[in-house]
Amino acid sequence: MTAQAETRTAPAPVPRRRGWSRLHLAGLAMAAPATIFILVFSLIPVVYGLYLSLTRYNPLRRGGPEWIGLSNYASLADSPQFWRALGVTGLFVLMVLPPTVLIATGLAVLVNVRVPGIGAIRSALYIPNIISLTAVSMIWLWMYSQHGLFNQIFAWFGLPEQALLYDERTALAAAAVMRVWKALGSNMVLLLAGLQSIPNELYEAARVDGAGKAAQFRHVTVPGLRPMLVFVIAMDIIYLSQSFAEIYVLTQGGPLASTTTVNYLIYTTAFQYNQFGLSSAMAFVLFAFVAGLSVITMRNRTGDRP
Amino acid sequence: MKLPPVRSTAAVLALTASLALTGCGQSNDQPDPDASGGAGATLTVWFPGNDPAEVRQVEDVIIPAFESATGAQVEATFVDWGDLSTKLSAAFASGAAPDLFGHGAAAVADYAVNERILPLTDYVARWSAEDRQDLSAALPGGTVDGVQYMIPLRMDGQLLAYDKADFRAAGLDPEQTFDSWEAIRAAAEQLTVRAADGSITRSGLLMATDPIGRQQSFATLVQAAGGRQVDQSGKVDFDTSAGLAALDFYTGLYLGQSGQPAVASGVGVPYSSNAPEQQPLVLDTASITMLNGNGIQKIADAKPDFEIGVIAPAGLTAGDAPAAFGGPGPGLMINAETKHPDLAWQFITHLVQPEVNLDYIKTFGGVPVRLSAASDPYVTGNPIMTALVEALPHLRPNPNVPGWVQARDTMDQYLEQALNAKAANAELLSQMAAAVDTVLTQSR
Amino acid sequence: MNTAPGRSELPLDSRPGPSRRASLKSRRQRSLAFRLAFAVVVTILVLVPFAWMISIAFTPAEQAFGSISLLPEQPTWRNFWIALTEVDLSRALLNSGVVAALAVIVNLVLTPMTGYAFCRLRFPGSQFVFLGIIATTAIPIAVTLIPLFLMVKGIPWAGGNDLFGHGGTGLLNTLLGVSIPHLVGAMNIFLSYQYYSTMPGELAEAARMDGAGEWVIFWRVYLPLSKPLLAVVAIFSFTGTWDDFLWPLVTTTSRDVYTVQLALVQFNAEGNVQYGALMAGAILISLPVVAVFLFNQRSFIAGLADGGVKG
Repeated sequence: MTAQAETRTAPAPVPRRRGWSRLHLAGLAMAAPATIFILVFSLIPVVYGLYLSLTRYNPLRRGGPEWIGLSNYASLADSPQFWRALGVTGLFVLMVLPPTVLIATGLAVLVNVRVPGIGAIRSALYIPNIISLTAVSMIWLWMYSQHGLFNQIFAWFGLPEQALLYDERTALAAAAVMRVWKALGSNMVLLLAGLQSIPNELYEAARVDGAGKAAQFRHVTVPGLRPMLVFVIAMDIIYLSQSFAEIYVLTQGGPLASTTTVNYLIYTTAFQYNQFGLSSAMAFVLFAFVAGLSVITMRNRTGDRP
Repeated sequence: MKLPPVRSTAAVLALTASLALTGCGQSNDQPDPDASGGAGATLTVWFPGNDPAEVRQVEDVIIPAFESATGAQVEATFVDWGDLSTKLSAAFASGAAPDLFGHGAAAVADYAVNERILPLTDYVARWSAEDRQDLSAALPGGTVDGVQYMIPLRMDGQLLAYDKADFRAAGLDPEQTFDSWEAIRAAAEQLTVRAADGSITRSGLLMATDPIGRQQSFATLVQAAGGRQVDQSGKVDFDTSAGLAALDFYTGLYLGQSGQPAVASGVGVPYSSNAPEQQPLVLDTASITMLNGNGIQKIADAKPDFEIGVIAPAGLTAGDAPAAFGGPGPGLMINAETKHPDLAWQFITHLVQPEVNLDYIKTFGGVPVRLSAASDPYVTGNPIMTALVEALPHLRPNPNVPGWVQARDTMDQYLEQALNAKAANAELLSQMAAAVDTVLTQSR
Repeated sequence: MNTAPGRSELPLDSRPGPSRRASLKSRRQRSLAFRLAFAVVVTILVLVPFAWMISIAFTPAEQAFGSISLLPEQPTWRNFWIALTEVDLSRALLNSGVVAALAVIVNLVLTPMTGYAFCRLRFPGSQFVFLGIIATTAIPIAVTLIPLFLMVKGIPWAGGNDLFGHGGTGLLNTLLGVSIPHLVGAMNIFLSYQYYSTMPGELAEAARMDGAGEWVIFWRVYLPLSKPLLAVVAIFSFTGTWDDFLWPLVTTTSRDVYTVQLALVQFNAEGNVQYGALMAGAILISLPVVAVFLFNQRSFIAGLADGGVKG
C-alpha cells in the first residue's frame, strides 16, 4: 500500500489565497506560448466553425455565410441519416476501443523487457501506424477481396467465400479490424512509456515489503499506469469518434450506409454538397457527445479527486 | 520538367501549324487583347485526375508548346479525382482558385449558378463554324441552361465489353450483335457459371453496382427503355413505366426476376476503376461487363492476347431505340476571377486542336473530342475505338443541373436498397423520385 | 546502448541477462522466453499485411496481386526505380523532412513545458484553458479546414501580403504553411500533463526548499526525467506530420513543396494504379519514420536509466 500511496499524484500546489503568486505567474509564462498558438490556429477555426453551424454557407456562393440561427440543428434532429451515423460512430468506437486497449496493454507489458532485438519488435509493432494509408488501404482492400487473404483462410477452414466489405453485416467490423491493427502501435508506445515512467524504487519498495509478482502488478503497475491508460482511452475516444480515413478508403460509407460515420457524413456534406453550415452543426453535435464521454473518462483520473 | 529538344520542337511546330491551319486560335483573326499580357503571364491550371501518362503528355508536350507559342507560363497541378472537390472548395472560399480547372460534368452547374466560372458562349462563337460542328457532340456536355461553361476534352461512355473466348466456349457467336438488353441477358444466362451450391462463380452480365456506378447503370437502362432521368425543366422524370422496367431489369441481374435466375453476383463490389489486371473480365469472374471506353481500351492495351469485344448500345426491349449513359467527359472551366481570361481560353482552344487533342487522348486510351477524329487511324485502326466512336450518337449525359452531385448520391442510396431487395422496386422508385426532387428544388 | 546496472525494464522478471541464459534454466527465464515467443508471434501477425507490401514492391507490375505466393517469381528492383524517378520522391522526402523536423522541434520545446505548467503550476483559470485546448482536438478537420486555410492565406507580411494579410497568398504553398497545424499538438500537451501527473511532487518541493526558480525546477529536475515523454512526443509529432494528407493537399499547388504522401498518390491514379511503384514508394517513405522510431525507442531505455540515476 505504501507503493500505491507514492504513485498517487501529488495535486498541484494550489495556494488558497487569492491573487497571483509567483507560481501562478511561472505557470502562466510557461503555458502561454503554446496556448496562444493553439488559440490562434485551433480555437479560432473552431469558433468560426461554431458560427458557421448557425448559418447557411456554401463556399462556392459569393454572399458568404447567411445567418439562420438553429435551423441546421433542428434539421439534424429529425434527420434519420444523421442519427444513424451517430449510432454507427458509437458502434465503431465500441468495436475498436476495447480490443485495441487490451491488446496494446498486453503488448506493452510483453515488450517491456531489455533483451537484444526488443527494439526491432517494438518498431515492427509500430509500423502499421506509420505506413502511408494509401498503400495500406490497397493491401487491406486486397486482403478483404474475393481471392484475398481472408477468403483463402476461410477456404482453408472450409468456410464459404465472403464479401466482407460489401456485406451490411460485416463491413463495419472489417473496417474496425483494420483500425485496431493501425492503432495498436501508438497505444502500445504510450503505454510502454507509461510503464517506464513508474519509478523502479516503487517495485523495490514493494519487494522489500514482500509483495509477490501479482501484488506488485496490482499495487504498483496498475496504479502507475493508470494516468497513461486514461490518456490513451480519452485519446482513442476522441480520434475514433472522428473516424474517416479507413471508411473513406475501404467502404465509402456503404453498404447501405452501414459504415457511414458522422465524420464521413460531415466530409461529404461539406465537400461534395458544399453545405458547410450543416456539416459544422453535425460536428458540434458529435463534439457534444465526445466531450461528454471524455469528461467522464477524465473524471476518473487518479488523484484528481481528493 | 525538361523536355527532349526534338519533341519540343516538334510540339511547337505542331502547335503553330494547327493554329495557323484551322484558324481556331484568336491570334490570327483578331488582335489578341491578351497578347501583351500573354507574354510573362502565369496561368495556373488544375487538371482532374493523375494518370501518369496523361500527366507526362500535358507537362512535357502540351504545356511547353503552349508556352513557346504564347510566351506565357503555365503551372499545372494534377489532382486525384477523389480530392478534387475538397481542394477546389477551399480554394474558392479564399479566392485562391486557379485560372483554369477541370472537373466532371456533374459539378459544372454548381460552379455556374454561383458565378464562379466564366460563360464561354461568346468565346465559342469566335471559333469557326467547322470547329463548332466538329465539336458538336462534346459541347452540350458543358452547357448549363443553354450557356456554355465547360469545354470537354474527351468523350466517354458506358458500354458492355465481353470476353470472346467465353462466348465461343458457351456456344455463342463471338461476333454476334444484340438488338436489346433482353437479348444480351439471354446470352448472359448461357455464360453464367455456377458452383455446385448454386452460387455464381462467373457472372454472365455484370453491371456496375458501386456508388457512382449504380446511378450510371440505372441511367443507361432508363434511357434504353425510352425514358430519361430529368425533364427539360429540371424535374425528375424517372418515376415512369420506363423507369420501373429499367430498375426491374437492373435488380433482376443480381436477384433474378420473374422466374429468370440471377446472372451476376457481387452487389456493391466495385470493379470499374480496377487496373486492367484486376478486371473481372481478365480474372474470368465475368463474361460481359459494363465499363467506360477508357477502361475497355486499357484492357486491350494491357492484355493484347485477351480477345475483347464491345457490344453496341441497345434498347431495353427489341423495339426501343438504343441509348446508354455517356457522352462528353471531363473538361476545363475558367475561373470567373482570372486575370487572364483570354489566355485561359487560348489554352482550352489549344487542347481541343485536332492533333493536340488526339495526342492527348491517346496517352490514356480515351475517345477523341472531335467528330473528325473518327477517320484518324487511331480510331479506324482499332476495333474498340471504332465501336466507341460509333456508339457516341446513342450516348446521353447526366443533366447539368445544380445539386446534381447530391441528387446522384441520393439516387444511389435508393438503388442500393433496390439491389438489396429492401423494398419493392415500384415503392423505392417513387421514394427515390421524391427525394431527388427535394434535393434539386433546394439547390435551385 | 546504455545498460546502466540495476535499471531493469522488466519489473516482474528482473535482469534476464542473455549471457546467463545457457548457464541456468530458471523459471524466470523460461517465462521470459515464453513472453518473447508470444511477442514475436503477435509481431509476425501484425506484419502480415506489410509482408505483402514488400512482396508487391518486388513484383513486376502486371503480376501484382496475381498469386497468393509471397515470394515474387521474378523479383525486380524496377518498382523502386520508378518510384524514385517518375515522381520527385527525393524532393518530397526533403520537404516532408523539413516540415516534420519543424513540427518535432517546436513540439519538443513547447508542449512538455505547457503540460507541466497546467499540471504542476496551476494558475487561476488554467484548468479551463487546458480543457479548451483538449476540446479543439475533438472537432473534425473537415470543419476547421476552410477557416484555417483562410488564416494561413492571410498571415501578414508573408507571400506578398501586407500588414493586414491582404494582397498575397500568405503561407499557402510553403513548407512553413504545411507545418502550421502540426507545430503545437494539443494531444502532446495532454500527454505531458498526464505524464507529469505521475511524477512525485516532492522533487519540486525539495528544489524549491533549495531556492531554485520554477524554470530551473522544470528544466533541471523534471525535464531530465522526461525522456520517455520526449520520445513519444517526438515520434507522434514526426509521424503525424509525415502522414498528413488532407492539409498539404489543400494548401500546396506546386510540386516544389509536395510532401511524401502527395507524391505517393501520383501512383494511385484511378483505373491506372501502379501497384508495384506505389508499394515501393510507400516503403521508401516509411523508412525514415521507422528510423526515427528505432532511434527514439532506444532513448526510452536510456531515459529510464538516466532518469532513475538522477532521480
